[in-house]
Amino acid sequence: MNGEHENWRAQGEIYALGALDGQELKEFEAHLASGCALCEASVRETREALALLHRTLQPMTPSTSIKARLVEQIAAEKVVPLPTRERLPRPRWQILAGTLAAGIIGAVLTGVLVTQRYEPRHSVYTAVIDLLRDPSTRDLPLYGTGPTPKAAGRFLWNESGEGHIFVTNLPAAPEGKMYAVWTIAQGAAPRYAGTIATDAAGQGGLHINVPRSDQPVETFAVTLEPVGTTAAPTGPMVLVSKLT
Amino acid sequence: MTADPTLAVQLIRQVANRDRDAFSQLYDRFSTLVFTLAMRMLKARADAEDLLQEVFVQIWRQAQSYNAERGSPEAWIINIARSRAIDKIRSIRRREKSFVLTDDPSRAESSDNVESSAAASEARLTMNSALANLPAPQRKVLELAYFDGLTQTEIAERLAEPLGTIKTRMRSGIQRLREMLGTQAV
Repeated sequence: MNGEHENWRAQGEIYALGALDGQELKEFEAHLASGCALCEASVRETREALALLHRTLQPMTPSTSIKARLVEQIAAEKVVPLPTRERLPRPRWQILAGTLAAGIIGAVLTGVLVTQRYEPRHSVYTAVIDLLRDPSTRDLPLYGTGPTPKAAGRFLWNESGEGHIFVTNLPAAPEGKMYAVWTIAQGAAPRYAGTIATDAAGQGGLHINVPRSDQPVETFAVTLEPVGTTAAPTGPMVLVSKLT
Repeated sequence: MTADPTLAVQLIRQVANRDRDAFSQLYDRFSTLVFTLAMRMLKARADAEDLLQEVFVQIWRQAQSYNAERGSPEAWIINIARSRAIDKIRSIRRREKSFVLTDDPSRAESSDNVESSAAASEARLTMNSALANLPAPQRKVLELAYFDGLTQTEIAERLAEPLGTIKTRMRSGIQRLREMLGTQAV
């Protein structure tokens, strides 16, 4: 290994520790991206060694409720299509005129239909009812925008991190694309909340359970993204909770 | 706290195929490990539990991206947890412009909820011994980076030492760890 590469390896060890910063970090990341197998192996082996550092700590067991929440969350990530029915696109003013009560009734009826038609999804129905029972749950209309101006939806949201999104008139995502749901808290970057798919009638639903945000969520959005995009939105916005 | 890596690899593959039972088993094997690290890094139980949940949601969503040839399941999961914890620490630091660094690791070591498996205890002893054999300055910089998410520049500022000195200590500490753990450099 020559002297120049020894310098890269030195940076790689600090990189593996997560402590490299500034220009050195940029340069080393570029070096890694160039495909240096030696540095990649060195970083990997250093991480393996460092990963054992946690064993110096006295183990602590998390609350059992965490696992229950996780199981519920991953179960809810499965797409829950709503029953198909013919419906003409409604003008935006009608959506805007919808009352909270109507939203709640609609959501409950939807939940009932979902339960009757998709019995295994009973837990989703129960979760939606629980959300609606909570007086702090907000019910926000979603407006079609960008490539899908006729799309619409509702977002039930509780600041505990639980919510449910219903969408309609949203065409199925093209091959290789997905609809990503984002929550946006004040002064924070959009946070991925799940992926929603729609049926042939453009309808779909998704139950959401994410960790509580430090700040109240102000905006909810759905964007069209390449499959697998969860770090940050990159594609066009198709639904949003606020008109801009 | 230790896990059979072969079985863990198999569980991750099953999780990639949306096997919830495998996910449940994977959680049982690694949740204590992730939570312990999260408690040490974030200090607050609520934050640590949030992190634990986020890490396993990420595992559920990205299990297909795991490559056994690129590292053990434990290192992969720990790396996810550390990355997320460091993001949170740095976000809080940016927001508050100041932070309290816990120099006393015992703060994260509550006497309740202690898992007393012999394997975990043995591993702790080995690692504690390994760390104890490190010179204090080397141990200090490793802990500041690994558990508190500080960068080399931040550590230099915090310890009022030249950056070059910090880098040397880090590298020496890492090399000693690798030697003690039998993970030799390439």
